[in-house]
Amino acid sequence: MDRHFDEELQGVKKTLLEVAAMVEDSIVRSLDAVKKQNTKAAEKVFEMDHEIDRREMAIEDQCIELIARHQPVGADLRFLIGVIKINNDLERMGDHAVNIATQVEYLIDKPRIKNVTNIWSMAREVKEMLKMSVESFMSNDVDQAQQVCERDNIVDEMRDEVIRILLTHMLEGPEKIGTAIPLLLVAKNLERIADLSTNICEDVIYIAQARVIKHHAEKKKEQ
Amino acid sequence: MIIETANLNLYYGTFHALINVNLSIKENIITGMIGPSGCGKSTLLRIFNRMNDLIPNVKITGSVIVDKEDIYAPVSDLIMLRKRVGMVFQRPNAFPLSVYDNVAYGPRVWGINDRKTLDRIVERSLNSVDLFDSVKDKLKHSALSLSAEKQQRLCIARLLAVEPEVLLMDEPCSALDPIATGKIEELMLELKKKYTIVIVTHNMQQAARIADEVGFMLLGELIEFDNSRKIFTNPGDKRTFEYISGRFG
Repeated sequence: MDRHFDEELQGVKKTLLEVAAMVEDSIVRSLDAVKKQNTKAAEKVFEMDHEIDRREMAIEDQCIELIARHQPVGADLRFLIGVIKINNDLERMGDHAVNIATQVEYLIDKPRIKNVTNIWSMAREVKEMLKMSVESFMSNDVDQAQQVCERDNIVDEMRDEVIRILLTHMLEGPEKIGTAIPLLLVAKNLERIADLSTNICEDVIYIAQARVIKHHAEKKKEQ
Repeated sequence: MIIETANLNLYYGTFHALINVNLSIKENIITGMIGPSGCGKSTLLRIFNRMNDLIPNVKITGSVIVDKEDIYAPVSDLIMLRKRVGMVFQRPNAFPLSVYDNVAYGPRVWGINDRKTLDRIVERSLNSVDLFDSVKDKLKHSALSLSAEKQQRLCIARLLAVEPEVLLMDEPCSALDPIATGKIEELMLELKKKYTIVIVTHNMQQAARIADEVGFMLLGELIEFDNSRKIFTNPGDKRTFEYISGRFG
């Protein structure tokens, strides 16, 4: 019986990794759409989101069924609870990709803002964090998951920097407000994707070691 | 559908044990029947190969179709039915014969006496239950010398030797420890690829783990019959929910 259950758990993991790959792709496309002001690329992101939503519901159903039918305990239970949470985080990331892609229509025919390279550096950092979080889930790598959590501050600082630059542009030239606000929203959504990547890593650590590190729970416990 | 009942009623004397049961059992899946003691699930299982015929004062009304044939029709061939629809019982009931003779018993009844053919059937049947490797040097030993789990496997191999279509299992793991139970469940999941399995179990978790479709019975009635996912995540009847959640039973 265990072998069949293990196979089902592996099946769930495989499906979740497929969704993660779609979400990564969707985020890359959304950023590319903004960078190139490409509405077709943005539409592709909207299309992909429907599929991500559909798969999110399917994975959730699968987990509920496995819990109801197999009544898992220990590592198996942590795995399925973790999958439900990661699944939800990935779906939210898909929504953030849609939010980013939505900014394309507000940017078209607006004056360009120079020197916002920080936003693209931030995007690279966020994509790397997501990639690492998915890899840590794939290989149960607690060290890698921990590293991602520590990188969240870097993204927060980058977002603050982007906001400072864009505010300066808006103050210097009100005609740039129409461009700056969509870019602010891109930065905001990127920062949320980074937060969700750290959530995934917190769940990876919980699945592997039953440790709860969110909300600094361990440090509070020590104090 | 391989088995279908319509307005099936069974009476033990004046006791109405099965009340208007209508169900359809699909091929090549595991169908689990659950319910509290005395609800009629074993009685229903025994209907499918007419084992209730052996009990005095039994009266059956309605129809039971197995593979398009009404098995309670006067012309029905009972011997053929028992070949096509085999049964595994709660306690392993290996015959006090050798391992080999247990498996060869059925084919011999069906007139197969050629040694090579029998050897092939015995090996194939024991392989099907993943037993051949561990007993190949003990084929002449008494079947009763095997562990309970292996005896239960042997009983299943004995059924497979006559190439049935349906395997009826009446609490097949109730005399086994959890490890042996896991192994028999694993076996059932393999066997369903070739056979239709109907299992009666007290162990709800077992039905949840292995059954594709589940029927819940109560006081002789089939309360609910649906796929396992539905039964164990969102049963349609309050009584089913109360039973599977341990609120009564």
